[in-house]
Amino acid sequence: MSEQEIRLLQCFASVFPGLSDGEIRETSAQSNGAWDSLSTVTLAAVIQEEFGLDVDEEILPCLDSFKAFRDYVCRAYPATN
Amino acid sequence: MKLIDALKLAALPIEEGAPEKKVFLACGFTPLHLQTFLTAGLRTTFPAHQVSSKTGLFGDLCGSIERLQLQPDTYDLLIVVVEWSDLDPRLGLRMLGGWRPSQMAEIVESAARTGSRLQSGILAASRQIPTIVSLPTLPLPPMFPTIPSQTSSTEIQLRHTAMSLAASLVQEKDVRVANGQYLDEISSPDTRYDMKSDAMTGFPYSLNHAAGVAEVLCRLVDSSRQKKGLITDLDDTLWSGILGEDGHDEISWHLAQHSQLHGLYQQFLASLAGAGVLIGVASKNDSSNVEHAFERTDLLVSKSDIFPFETHWSSKSESVQRILRIWNIGPESVVFVDDSPMEVAEVKAAFPEMDCIVFPKNDYPGAWKLLRYLRELFGKPALTEEDALRLRSIRDSKVWRDARDISSKVSEDDFLESVQAHVVFEPVHSRNGARAFELLNKTNQFNLNGKRLAASDWASLFNNSGTLILAVSYTDKFGAMGKIAVIMGSVRGRVAVVTGWVISCRAFSRRIEHQCLKYLFDTFDVDEIVFDYQSTPRNTVLQEFLVELFGELPKDEVRLSRELFVAKAPRLFHNVQGVAHV
Repeated sequence: MSEQEIRLLQCFASVFPGLSDGEIRETSAQSNGAWDSLSTVTLAAVIQEEFGLDVDEEILPCLDSFKAFRDYVCRAYPATN
Repeated sequence: MKLIDALKLAALPIEEGAPEKKVFLACGFTPLHLQTFLTAGLRTTFPAHQVSSKTGLFGDLCGSIERLQLQPDTYDLLIVVVEWSDLDPRLGLRMLGGWRPSQMAEIVESAARTGSRLQSGILAASRQIPTIVSLPTLPLPPMFPTIPSQTSSTEIQLRHTAMSLAASLVQEKDVRVANGQYLDEISSPDTRYDMKSDAMTGFPYSLNHAAGVAEVLCRLVDSSRQKKGLITDLDDTLWSGILGEDGHDEISWHLAQHSQLHGLYQQFLASLAGAGVLIGVASKNDSSNVEHAFERTDLLVSKSDIFPFETHWSSKSESVQRILRIWNIGPESVVFVDDSPMEVAEVKAAFPEMDCIVFPKNDYPGAWKLLRYLRELFGKPALTEEDALRLRSIRDSKVWRDARDISSKVSEDDFLESVQAHVVFEPVHSRNGARAFELLNKTNQFNLNGKRLAASDWASLFNNSGTLILAVSYTDKFGAMGKIAVIMGSVRGRVAVVTGWVISCRAFSRRIEHQCLKYLFDTFDVDEIVFDYQSTPRNTVLQEFLVELFGELPKDEVRLSRELFVAKAPRLFHNVQGVAHV
């Protein structure tokens, strides 16, 4: 597991404190009843702060799963690191 | 604090059955991360409580506050966060109502009207719930016709509206207003506004600013852990120079001698003394030299502000020990200041709980930091009458003890009869309760159970008509002590239930504790008093009193019958006055 993924897991755990790492990896807005629009905004803010990213407003609705966030961070993080 | 840490803190598990602390966060914008930071901060402030917060309607700050009056007793704390757009939506960026110069006068009038409405709403709410207010913290938008470096008339009028609101609110006992200058130090004004977040989600604060606002607001919630006394050195601390070597004419504290730092420190100590903080001196000096020095009329702190003076050649820790004994407070409530790192280390080794500080002589930034830090330790939300009385009362107590020692051949009864003691029992109401609240939260040695009350707990007591709270004041021929005891509880038929009882350590040995019980038995005509007693590591004086009454420390429920009290109580000589009970 990469250091980046560990940090991303921690971000998700802070927003969804009841989920295990395995559950977080599979979580999405569809499968997770606790995931609402507020969760998306909070996740985006936590991840922006943690990784120093600026999440694009238009991308936000597409960030609806852990995998989507992981892919986004993977793409954006090298440029900001 | 980072958002991820705030989220983790807010989600920490809480003990089942923990009491709830219900907070209403009134703000006109989406509270989003501010609510998270506030919840995290309040969890830290109230670790044994379950903190829950509710918010009002978006864009309707006034209405949210006004509707609270329809739900009395629902919340323990009201936090109001006002931004410019609450005064007039055109002062935010989410509404496009126009910034034409011709509209400015109308915007100013509208903001003033909303300011008045907010004032009325907050004042009404604060009579039901302790209230904390943050006034506009974001920059005004670039809407004025002047260049940004020039202040416009409109801007000044808007700021005047906000300041007028603040000025009226700070007068209120149950309202605390966040200090903008303090916020400036922890949240840089140029990074506060997050326009993208405002546009996308309706939350206008950057994360750092949200954390800063929450930190300031949470600091206002609980101010019960303030220090009580400061012990200072003299040479190269209260003044520049060594009294024994330079002489009292040559020690200095003025600009001309480049020793202004010491003058500021003196001025600061006088300010603390005026606010009821105990100031003592521990100095390795000849006492006659010190007497001479304190005759100088240009000293900014007077001899009467300080008690006691420990001026001799014994160790500083011995001096500190004696001062603590005279003040009758613990080392954790005291700060020690000395220019010598060695003396500071010696006192710290003897009193690890004491805050011991090296005076930063010749260090201007260090001196500024010291004064700021001391204000942090000693600042009070409001001054009470007792603050002004405290030092005199301790001085009088020392005279009292000395007189008692001199009269040691006289019986205790004869001595107590001779002091002409006068005790007043007065019901406490929400409007006169500041000192009683302070006593309940600060007293340790004679404290029935050590329970501390948050401001919201205190306020809610007054909504319960069955609650009885009595403040006890004491005066004798040595002087007035002001309010020195509080009894809290209720009367149920022929039984008085005491849930809180504290007596200031300054007032021990005067049989006030016996008089308190006699008053309950006589005034409320009860046959029995039930105490909600709990032993704490520090309520030893209360425990000794219970042993005196019961012969041993009660293990279960503590019930005192009138018969037992009459059998055990010593003679009482107080002239007792009771102010009418409701």
